[in-house]
Amino acid sequence: MLTTPCNRDQLCGRSKYRLYLWGRAKQVFKNIDRIVFAAVIVCSSLNAQDAKNATPNLSGYWQLQFDSRNVPRAKLTPQAASANQEELTKRDMFEVRWCHAFGVPYLMGTSPLQIAQNRTGREIAVVFSTRNPGRHIYLDRQHPNSETFDATSNGHSIGKWEGDTLIVDTIGFGEEGLTAIPGGGRRTKDAHLVECFKLIAGGSQLSVDSTWTDPNTFTQPHTYEFRYHRLPKGFEMPNVDCDPADEARGKFLLNPPGTQVP
Amino acid sequence: MCLLDSGYVAAQSAAKPVDLSGSWERRDDVGGGSYGGIFEKIIPKAILKPEYIEANRRETARQNAGDVVSFALKWCQTFRYPFLMQHSAAWRIGQTDDEVIQIPEIHTFVRHIYMDGRKHPDPQRLTPSVNGHSIGRWEGNVLAVDSIGFTPGGGTPGGGHIGASTRLTERFALLDGGKQLKLTFTWDDPSIYVKPHTYEPSYYRSPEDSYALGDYCHADDPLQQGSVVRQKQV
Repeated sequence: MLTTPCNRDQLCGRSKYRLYLWGRAKQVFKNIDRIVFAAVIVCSSLNAQDAKNATPNLSGYWQLQFDSRNVPRAKLTPQAASANQEELTKRDMFEVRWCHAFGVPYLMGTSPLQIAQNRTGREIAVVFSTRNPGRHIYLDRQHPNSETFDATSNGHSIGKWEGDTLIVDTIGFGEEGLTAIPGGGRRTKDAHLVECFKLIAGGSQLSVDSTWTDPNTFTQPHTYEFRYHRLPKGFEMPNVDCDPADEARGKFLLNPPGTQVP
Repeated sequence: MCLLDSGYVAAQSAAKPVDLSGSWERRDDVGGGSYGGIFEKIIPKAILKPEYIEANRRETARQNAGDVVSFALKWCQTFRYPFLMQHSAAWRIGQTDDEVIQIPEIHTFVRHIYMDGRKHPDPQRLTPSVNGHSIGRWEGNVLAVDSIGFTPGGGTPGGGHIGASTRLTERFALLDGGKQLKLTFTWDDPSIYVKPHTYEPSYYRSPEDSYALGDYCHADDPLQQGSVVRQKQV
């Protein structure tokens, strides 16, 4: 399921170079077939070790700034373009009022957020200051069987490293939460999100390219980029609570429903 | 002797931290018959000051009269630590160089245990929170955690209470080749407890291919009688 929209040219170029080297080796060494098995074992081992050592560390606290978003307008299907925006916003306000799980992509637009990259390299968590479930990115795994997976507002995410870029593939979205996608359109159960996480500016910033595809919503893949700024060491995550029992808050949000979702 | 001691300290500080990361869940390892039954078997009653004994008596009477749905559960309010450790839902540990975080499946905040040597903030400037403020350090293979700054009003298994001055110390120890995580909780607060309240539950590593489940608690749902975590089996 994992697709690789990030750095395609670079990866293809690397493969071509390996083929070229193989051709040259065949010309130079007569007994190449005899030594190739041992060489492959050694190289695979070295590559795996190199890859592990070279994996960037995304762990830390990250913040969006006023100039952190580059979001083009999405090309929507007629159905998505004609959706009743007033009704959708009213629905969003209901979700906020009752503290439902907001989900992706809304949470990726909140800050600060924390990325915790496990030492084992098996999982990366993205957690938020609002009272919402964290995202779990399971590395080098497959998505679960869709027949048994309960859709969630964060979906199910798997990831793999390609060079210095973490490619994250997410499906299994539910309809709960704040579904607006930056640039236009809404998350549906058929949405498919591919994100490319890459450290830039010497590790002081994190670029996240998000590409959504969904035949219900988009006529072509919709891509935008957020750039998060690393917060200094020692930062502590605030807790932004949400209390559905707070009636005054409920009245404030829904009587009448606001027209702007935070 | 001095050399030996210095060597020991150096070896300790150079040791790699134990890897606690992964998904952890409760199991009936004592024949309790239910999640509540497990704790009844392993957790002693907290030895409390008289006013807290009386508060527990009133609460038991309320429940015996049939009022079993708490306001917080009915309204999907944020769970306070250590409720996530009592729940049937699994929870995950994320571990970086600077922090150990506990990520719940239920509706509460991630718990941050700061491992970078920082101290607790001045209590006068510390905003109380449902998880408190936690700092940790490795003592050999054991993660020792110290927490203060809890929002008053919470409770612990065994009938304990949590107040503004309550301190929690925890020890996380891996057993059985990393399959079992034994926690030692010690709640201390002279204004509440006659003596510190200690208990030791165990958690077990979930299968490698497990994933976090969604939490369902909708206070707008007329059928909401408390927190229900969807438990579709994989």
